[in-house]
Amino acid sequence: MGQLRPADPIDEADRLDREAAALVVRRVLRFLRPYQAEMILGLVVMVGATACLIAPPVLFGWVIDRVTSTKPHHGVGGYIDRVAIVVGVVSVLAWILSRAQIRIVTRIGEKFLRDMRRRVFDHLLGMSLGFFDTEQTGRLVSRMTSDIDTMEDLVQQGLVIFVTNGLLFVFTVAVMIWLSWMLAAFCLLAVPGVAIASVWFRRHSNQAYLHVRDTVGQTLSSLQEGLSGVRVVQAFTREDAVVRRFSQRNRAQRDANISATRISCYYFPVVEGSGVLTAAVVVGVGGILVHQGSIPVGTIGTFMLFLTNLFEPINQISQLFNLVQQAGAGLNKVYGLLDTVSPIQERPGAVDLPPGGAVVLDHVSFSYGPDLPPVLSDVSVTIAPGERLALVGPTGAGKSTLAKLVARFYDPLTGRVSLGETDLRDATLASLRRQIVVVPQEGHLFGGSIADNVRLGRADASDDDVAAALQALGAYDRFACLPEGLNTEVSERGTRLSAGERQLVSLARAFLSDPRVLILDEATSSLDPGTEVEVEQAVEALMAGRTVIVVAHRLSTAQRADRVAVVDAGGIIEIGTHDELVAHEGRYAALFASWVGGLGGAEAAAPSVHEAPRPRRRFSQGRQRRVAGPASGSASSK
Amino acid sequence: MPDGNAGRSGSLPAMSESDAGRRAGWRLLRASLRAERRAMIKGSISGLIWTIAKVAVPLLALEAINRGVSSSQHGALLWWSLALVGTGAVQAVTTGLRRFQAFSMAFRVETDLRERLFAHLQRLHFSFHDRSQTGQLLARSASDLQQVNGLMIMLPISVANVTIVSGVAVILLIITWRLALLTLVALPLLNIVAKQFSARIHPASLGLQTELAELSVLAEETVSGVRVVKGFGAEPIFASRMRQRADAVYGRALQVVRVRANYLPVLDFIPAVGVTAVVWYGGHQALSHHLSIGAFTAFYLYVLLLINPLRLTGQLVAQAQRAVAAAERIDQILETEPAIIDAAVPVKLPPGGGEVVFEDVSFRYDAAAVASVLNGFDLVIQPGEAVALVGATGSGKTTVAKLLPRFYDVTAGRITLDGVDLRDLRLRELRRAVSMVFEDTFLFTDTVRDNIAFADPEASDDEVEQAARLAGAHEFIVELEDGYNTIIGERGFSLSGGQRQRLALARAIIANPRVLILDDATSAVDPTKEHEIRGALQQVMAGRTTIVIAHRPATIALADRVVLLREGRVVVQGTHEELLATSAAYREVLARADPADALAGAD
Repeated sequence: MGQLRPADPIDEADRLDREAAALVVRRVLRFLRPYQAEMILGLVVMVGATACLIAPPVLFGWVIDRVTSTKPHHGVGGYIDRVAIVVGVVSVLAWILSRAQIRIVTRIGEKFLRDMRRRVFDHLLGMSLGFFDTEQTGRLVSRMTSDIDTMEDLVQQGLVIFVTNGLLFVFTVAVMIWLSWMLAAFCLLAVPGVAIASVWFRRHSNQAYLHVRDTVGQTLSSLQEGLSGVRVVQAFTREDAVVRRFSQRNRAQRDANISATRISCYYFPVVEGSGVLTAAVVVGVGGILVHQGSIPVGTIGTFMLFLTNLFEPINQISQLFNLVQQAGAGLNKVYGLLDTVSPIQERPGAVDLPPGGAVVLDHVSFSYGPDLPPVLSDVSVTIAPGERLALVGPTGAGKSTLAKLVARFYDPLTGRVSLGETDLRDATLASLRRQIVVVPQEGHLFGGSIADNVRLGRADASDDDVAAALQALGAYDRFACLPEGLNTEVSERGTRLSAGERQLVSLARAFLSDPRVLILDEATSSLDPGTEVEVEQAVEALMAGRTVIVVAHRLSTAQRADRVAVVDAGGIIEIGTHDELVAHEGRYAALFASWVGGLGGAEAAAPSVHEAPRPRRRFSQGRQRRVAGPASGSASSK
Repeated sequence: MPDGNAGRSGSLPAMSESDAGRRAGWRLLRASLRAERRAMIKGSISGLIWTIAKVAVPLLALEAINRGVSSSQHGALLWWSLALVGTGAVQAVTTGLRRFQAFSMAFRVETDLRERLFAHLQRLHFSFHDRSQTGQLLARSASDLQQVNGLMIMLPISVANVTIVSGVAVILLIITWRLALLTLVALPLLNIVAKQFSARIHPASLGLQTELAELSVLAEETVSGVRVVKGFGAEPIFASRMRQRADAVYGRALQVVRVRANYLPVLDFIPAVGVTAVVWYGGHQALSHHLSIGAFTAFYLYVLLLINPLRLTGQLVAQAQRAVAAAERIDQILETEPAIIDAAVPVKLPPGGGEVVFEDVSFRYDAAAVASVLNGFDLVIQPGEAVALVGATGSGKTTVAKLLPRFYDVTAGRITLDGVDLRDLRLRELRRAVSMVFEDTFLFTDTVRDNIAFADPEASDDEVEQAARLAGAHEFIVELEDGYNTIIGERGFSLSGGQRQRLALARAIIANPRVLILDDATSAVDPTKEHEIRGALQQVMAGRTTIVIAHRPATIALADRVVLLREGRVVVQGTHEELLATSAAYREVLARADPADALAGAD
């Protein structure tokens, strides 16, 4: 044994206190309740297997006793035969039982991990978007992965080793005491020493491996940087310096590893030495006891064979301790996530949204947090079925927030948002997502084929439906002509799609889901020239016949909308048709004038209202400042 | 080694497929061991002493029981007990020494190989790095080095283990050969089963690791694309994908469990057969006084003693196979010769103004490629001249730029710098004279200052600042929290694309090269700010041979001469205005590159 690799170290901060640990254990037990029968079976099997392991030395001792007894020897030969048969049977039993014990215990553990993974993932999917805005992607992903994966080692090997070694130790001590309590007491003298050494070792090696982990991380990033920056290094012929720097870190890692090794080189001699020392005690003290006639010779034989059962379990369990602590820390974080409740929930008795009807925002206020200033205050607007409303305004003014409230990514603090007179909070989430679809600025693609990505709009869509959606947007030919057509994997190297193509897939996805209400976040940056026009046409095709709210970054988009709302300072400051607003000579009129003026009357291109940097140069400096003033410097909206 | 193994680099073979490759792997391992022979000898010697102590324990116990316990002599009892204590002390000390030598040797070998790999990769030509992905190289070297490390750790103890096995066998045969044969007959199975176990468990756990990685990819992309997932109500689709992934992980994990459950209990059962033999035959022999009670006990103890050595030698074989395959892959990289090296007799670069001449240059990235990127490309750039290369994607303009610092060698023709063929110059001298600013800038995790001074670490703070000013970077640098001492790069403060490009420009400026190449080096700079560095560019370009690859007409206009490329040949050249006025092809390329900017540039 002793083949477990040095466990990953655990940070002091991650170590659970007694109370948290107890809570985690209680929750794990509750979670395991469905597997109660299997667990009891597992425990019984483990007890049986352990008993089978310690039986042969005892039987062996009995044989010695019979052989050395002064009584007449007749019948002893038969006795030996019977004992040998029992030893053989017990060995076969041990084989069967320990095979069963590994299977039963790991199966329960793996089921636990599988359920945990699913539960965490389902829980994450149920969280509102506000939650994802505040949490870091990396942290959430590690709840799904590394925090649960740390338990994999424990489940695969640790659990069985932990329990069987514990049982082995207890059984061994019990049998020793039963055979001769006095000799047992002498044998156990070294146990506290080994235990103390184990605690010392665990503590110091944990420290040492924390240091190793740091140096490994540094070497790795140095390695990574050296490889991804190799072209720059060669361009400036700095190979020697970079290699020297890497070499320093590399050697620091080696030195850290060697000092960690040194600690184990102090510890393992204690374990091995204690074993032999105790053997000397068994022979010496046991010999005297035999001389006195208090124990038979066989007991010494049994004790000698038992010695490994005494110290090896302490060593094994101590090595597993980090693994257990890590699992606890991981579970604690995972439970922390599971305890977070999504504010966006389906109400009991929720109804399906009616197909269509007006979108109404009624005195809506909203802020991203209790301590944060309101992003929207007291906004009211009605969007008629089939109407196209463009939201314009500086970055951070609340356009995107307003759009997100209509999609119920968030709930308003006060006021209500409704579709067809049904409050969104009273609607089933499924019908909500079917009726209202958001197309984000950038086409986000997932691993899988182009068709798979489009099909996210409607899971049960056939291949023909997918093709039809792309066709309706005029994007079918572009993808169909790829060597593998719509089955082309999007993430594979070499077949990466351009930003415009990704956007087309994303639009087709929306088309396939066929919502009544469409919320578009227009891209701020211009796309690759090759697809710009196609994307624009696809957007038009997608909008036809739907209620549309578009967060507009280009005046041409605003111009084509039925109505335009200028959003600023947490509210709608102007609303009306393009012509009305231009005539009104307010904020929008100023924007429009700067656009027309800057362009010298040309109407070919589609310049941006504000943040899109590229066309800004065409505005005269003075106008630009006036129009884009509020936008500059503000953080991008969520 | 020749190209015999090149085709295999993609997949990772579990075992070497060719004898030549296996030999190369062994050669590398042997060389590593030779370098560590002192540690190997020390480890083996302490291992042998440890072995003697370990093997002596049952013998001492035998004598103690026979002479001390059974004979009722207190003195003998004490003596044998003390002998055991002494042996225990020797065993404890040597086990510490043995472990230390083994582990530190393994870490040294691993570290040394890693360093050699890294240093070699740093010197390998661009086309090697074009072909192999960073991530793959990293993962490969990490796991390969671990396999080698695993073998090195096992080596000294294996010497001890083999000794234990043969020593114990001899002792048992001497005590009573019949029982010895009966006891030992099943034990070699341990070795075989352990070897099989090690060979089976490894691919099974790799499979589990792969499946876990897949699950993590799904988790990652779902969380980062959660707005889309929720926007379309696609949660059920992703939930079912995760269900499948979690099931797949579960399935893989159970496969690993099955291997464990099938092998580990057998490994415990095989010695039990020996134990049964000892109890039965040994019992009868003890009964008939052919075997002393002490020897009876010693037999049992020796069976237990043999378990680990036999198992470990079994695992050693499997581990050695993996390590050889790993060493073979490491060797493959180490044996790849850098293709771009100094000439045997290098020529010194004469003083000059940076005249660059491309003479009938042809080039293809891959010898197997059918189409050449450049075909009979001719171009003379006068000292101090600024030339803009313009052309559609794939026209070869970036290739022209990359040939000049000899990132690649021409397939035919030649390139000269101030009259000397590039291949006759020392690389160091050439690249000192020719600086290139890449399109995708790479910054190291380091301070702003050190990133700028990368080409010339000796540069003073003033020089760094001056370079930063020239590149239009000084203004934003001083606004960073720690100014020039701010840590940037992959794990540091993240800068915008435009800021990164300006730092890269400063890095090239500080090298003060004769020839400066700007490969789309201002593409990410905000157009509204570009005019700020345009002045700077002009200053940098003044009196320096410059090759500019750009899309923005305003940047192109900075050049003295514009060269339009198509399919690796010069189509037309002249000033920006001339070409704009006379060349339809030129106007078309500009318009396609960026319609909006084309208008602006035409003003």
